Amino acid sequence: MNASTVDTRAPKIVDPETKKTRSVSNFLQAKLQQSLAFATLVVLLIFFSFANTAFFTWSNISGILLSTAVIGILALGTTFVIITGGIDLSIGTGMTLAAVMTGIFLVNMDLPLIVGVLGGIATGGLMGFISGFNIAVLKLPPFIATLAMMLIAQGLALVISGVRPIYFTSVPDFKQIALGTAIPGLPNAVLILFGLAFIAYLVLSKTILGRYTFALGSNEEATRLSGVDTRRWKIMVYTFSGLFTGIAGVVIASRLDSAQPQLGSGYELQAIAAVIIGGTSLLGGRGSILGTLIGALIMSVLINGLRIMSIQTEWQNVVVGAVILVAVFSDSLRRRKAIF
Amino acid sequence: MKSRTRVAVIAVAAAAALFLGGCASGSNTAAPAAGNSKELYIALISKGFQHQFWQAVKKGAEQRAAKLGVKVTFEGPASETEVDAQLQMLQAAIDKKPDAIGFAALDPKACIPLLDAAKAAKIPVVEFDAGCDSTVPLSIAKTDSKAAGALAADNMARLIGGKGEVGIVGHSQINSTGVERRDGFVNQIKAKYPDIKIVDIQYGDGDHLKSADIAKAMIAAHPNLKGLYGTNEGSAIGIVNAVGELGLAKGKVTVVGFDSGQAQMDAITSGVMAGAITQNPIGIGEQTVQAAYDAIKGKTPEKIIDTGFFWYDAKNMTEANIAAVLYK
Amino acid sequence: MSTQLLTVSGISKSFPGVKALQDVQFELNRGEVLALVGENGAGKSSLMKILSGIYSKDSGTILFEGQEVDIDSPKTAQKLGISIIHQEMNLMPHLTVAQNIFIGREPRVGIFVRERLLSRQASELLTRLGIDLDPDTLVEGLTVAKQQMVEIAKALSFDAKVLIMDEPTSALTVAETETLFTLIEALKATGTGIIYISHRMDELRRITDRVTVLRDGHYIGTLEKADFSIPKVIEMMVGRPIEEGARPTTRVREADDIVLKVEGLNTRSLLKDVSFELRRGEILGFSGLMGAGRTEVARAIIGADPRTSGTVEINGKAVSIKKPSDAVALGLGYLSEDRKQFGLLLEQDVNTNILLASLKDYTDGLGFVHTNKGKQTSRRYVDSLRIKTPSISSTTKNLSGGNQQKVVIAKWLARDCDILIFDEPTRGIDVGAKEEIYRLLNDLAAEGKSIIMISSELPEVLKLAHRIIVMANGRITGVLDNEEASQAKIMDFATRMGHEKEAVQL
Repeated sequence: MNASTVDTRAPKIVDPETKKTRSVSNFLQAKLQQSLAFATLVVLLIFFSFANTAFFTWSNISGILLSTAVIGILALGTTFVIITGGIDLSIGTGMTLAAVMTGIFLVNMDLPLIVGVLGGIATGGLMGFISGFNIAVLKLPPFIATLAMMLIAQGLALVISGVRPIYFTSVPDFKQIALGTAIPGLPNAVLILFGLAFIAYLVLSKTILGRYTFALGSNEEATRLSGVDTRRWKIMVYTFSGLFTGIAGVVIASRLDSAQPQLGSGYELQAIAAVIIGGTSLLGGRGSILGTLIGALIMSVLINGLRIMSIQTEWQNVVVGAVILVAVFSDSLRRRKAIF
Repeated sequence: MKSRTRVAVIAVAAAAALFLGGCASGSNTAAPAAGNSKELYIALISKGFQHQFWQAVKKGAEQRAAKLGVKVTFEGPASETEVDAQLQMLQAAIDKKPDAIGFAALDPKACIPLLDAAKAAKIPVVEFDAGCDSTVPLSIAKTDSKAAGALAADNMARLIGGKGEVGIVGHSQINSTGVERRDGFVNQIKAKYPDIKIVDIQYGDGDHLKSADIAKAMIAAHPNLKGLYGTNEGSAIGIVNAVGELGLAKGKVTVVGFDSGQAQMDAITSGVMAGAITQNPIGIGEQTVQAAYDAIKGKTPEKIIDTGFFWYDAKNMTEANIAAVLYK
Repeated sequence: MSTQLLTVSGISKSFPGVKALQDVQFELNRGEVLALVGENGAGKSSLMKILSGIYSKDSGTILFEGQEVDIDSPKTAQKLGISIIHQEMNLMPHLTVAQNIFIGREPRVGIFVRERLLSRQASELLTRLGIDLDPDTLVEGLTVAKQQMVEIAKALSFDAKVLIMDEPTSALTVAETETLFTLIEALKATGTGIIYISHRMDELRRITDRVTVLRDGHYIGTLEKADFSIPKVIEMMVGRPIEEGARPTTRVREADDIVLKVEGLNTRSLLKDVSFELRRGEILGFSGLMGAGRTEVARAIIGADPRTSGTVEINGKAVSIKKPSDAVALGLGYLSEDRKQFGLLLEQDVNTNILLASLKDYTDGLGFVHTNKGKQTSRRYVDSLRIKTPSISSTTKNLSGGNQQKVVIAKWLARDCDILIFDEPTRGIDVGAKEEIYRLLNDLAAEGKSIIMISSELPEVLKLAHRIIVMANGRITGVLDNEEASQAKIMDFATRMGHEKEAVQL
């Protein structure tokens, strides 16, 4: 956001009393979107529990959590990118390319499990790095740079796999990454999601990378003039987000026990939707990991609940679309209020 | 001002993403190296190329082309919703003036003017898998999807003892194979098995992950569910994954699939899936090229070439006639 | 230790097609405030950007503490101890005060930021500078003035030896300006050299020791405090003498028609019972401190913001204005204080901008725009308002601030607006061009247009307005006839924060 657009009409005479209330209400506003999202989640949970007794069973809840894993991991990474005011459209097909590369490493090249998995994750990181470089150094708009990367990843996934799925039957342990149960009854993919959410939270709110992520989205030019190497940090943000794309690729491959080269397109919009529902602003500078996690859960709870209720697929899409509208509208409403 | 522009850019961009996202079309060319400059050329326009089914059709087409010594190209849009992209491919194919065109229609009406154009250009047209509402095509090689769906229903009924609740994970509520495989199944159950109740039908676009989550939700919502039917490979594998993830005992839910592919064959071998209907995609490919070849040579091919479908399970999978139509 | 901190000589800088600076020089001593003045486009900002490492110079030398230095990046400038407070806000609104001050220099352990230490350091710095701010507040929640304080704290946190301030008071109230001046005095005492850029002549006399004047990228001269006077400085800036302290020559008679009558205007957040009248040919000044509600009155009248109550009459008839297009249809034009954001399409040409509000008049039933007729109109206004532009197809962005303002005025005149509300019509416009705008406003009034002029510059209000409405805290606290008005009186009313309302009616 351009600094000159920031509330130039704000009262210039403010006594200490109103200053204090302003900062308090500011804090509340920041929390409002999150608590709004959280309240939505709770309401959905209660509603579906009453609507169908099958909903609130451990098996179904763990199913919901598992179905959140892939989109959730993508959303966590892309939260960083969106807070910088950017966008990454390549995460869906990028995830697929990472899955395919994991398959190539493990099945075709027969590398050790850990090497193959790290290779898949690194594939995601590399794509993020390239997008980040194109955006930060070559000054391509994020939308264009990642749109191109989306198509490149989709094409490469098909070419490298020979347009056929790669099955991990020769690597029996691979399936355990997502579906093993280190905690009985809870698939590992869920643990991975929460573990990554915690890491993302730490990085976003406690580290230098997180600080510059917000700074870039808040006022990039000011950040640059403050002596911060904004190009370098922007590349870092996209690379970091790319690692999450890579992890999502490993998780989806593990869950399907195969790398399906034709999947992935459309996943990026679901992930972006989760981020937005969670209160992260597409304009940059504002956002939280907890919000994203809640946003992703809202999406999967909603879809699962509608499925349990046997609502037609067509209407499921309508409802999800409406929820996104309401979430973004409430966000803009909040912002408009903040000006007065 | 700046931020407003940015919102606009994002909005336009998001629209473009939705549009472009599905637009990447692939084309795969297979040309048997017959050095003859007068080599016959048949252009095949398919409904897709990414699924294993289409890869098998392509394989059959290439096999027959090699045998006949003709050149074929095989292309199709990235997803089976891109009617427009497919028509552009068809137009381009007509412009190349091949000796014959093989076509599988995504939309039965939109293709009519282009087929008229092909006729005007004196290019014979044969069809495969799904037809166009036009008198131009000389023949069609396809599976009778409704009958195939009915066969799936018969086997499902047999396996669950003729009564109980079943659910369907469909791959499309729009395109003809999705609709016919569903309707064939549903009508057969209604007509012949009054004690079987279809409790839910939902659609996962053939996406493995989405289909798995749908299957899990169905199993959760209907604890007495006896059977699940997946209408294509992605739907069926989704069900298999769901059963695996829930750790259900084998046979608790009877899974009936459609098409083949490595994963379904493994699931049948291991007993997670009871069996599936397979079409004969290789046969479709072969028969399409053969019909086109015949048309070029002035012979009239059969109007409808039923390439057949089969029920396969752990018992008959290795039999030669079945193994021949399965693909990995 | 020599007293010379910074010696700059022979600096030139060209941009494609423009010579921004030619052979410019100045000196800065320890513990002094050097004012750098000049009209917009004189080269002050370019010079400061060279000093702070944002631009590189084409030629010339910079001696810092007697050593020749090459300032090639903002980081180098920071290391040398040269800090700049930019005119446009350069803060990250979504970060806290502390995070903003130490951006790029966060104390950390490995990759982790030591948040509490950061906050403590900021708190110590703010205390030392006597700035009353909570280091953990988000900057977006602060007033512009407080944000300015954060900028200053940030600049000083580098232990700056040279501090450059570019128009630091443009957004500050009188009291806040005083705080800033106290701060500047304290910094001077510690030996910091300050380069102070300002358009406000009265400030220069208050705090500066010497004044260096630039004009059109050239060095004009430097005046010691002892021998400078404001007219002299202005003369050097514009190259000709300028009259001061003028008052309107025309009068508005009670017999003149009331064209706009506002009664009992209230808004949810600020305005309380605002009522006033505007007569034909009158320039009505709106004065008050920033945030007093002057802009809000204009926005509420034209329907840009919702009102909770209040009536508006135009030419004696009650009208209902729900959105800005209603106001325009009634001949009521609002010229925003922020031309660039709300008044102009900067990337479009002059012609497009002038015709923007009245495009319908040049469009036929099929939606085609009749270009020639429109261009004639544009040319007429370019001539009559003396807009300096190479042609009407020049991009508006390339015009000077004063000429951009004239384009906005032309836009509303082309729309046949009889009532014009000017919000800070001369903000960001240099001294010479201001005079032109003043003449234009007077001419418009003489032609029978009625004008509301919102302005923070008291001399300007006194010079032009027939009557002056003073606001404070969303209320009208006084209405003054020009003859009885003075800067002191206006400030008196402007600072009446309480509920006592002492309207001095005509």
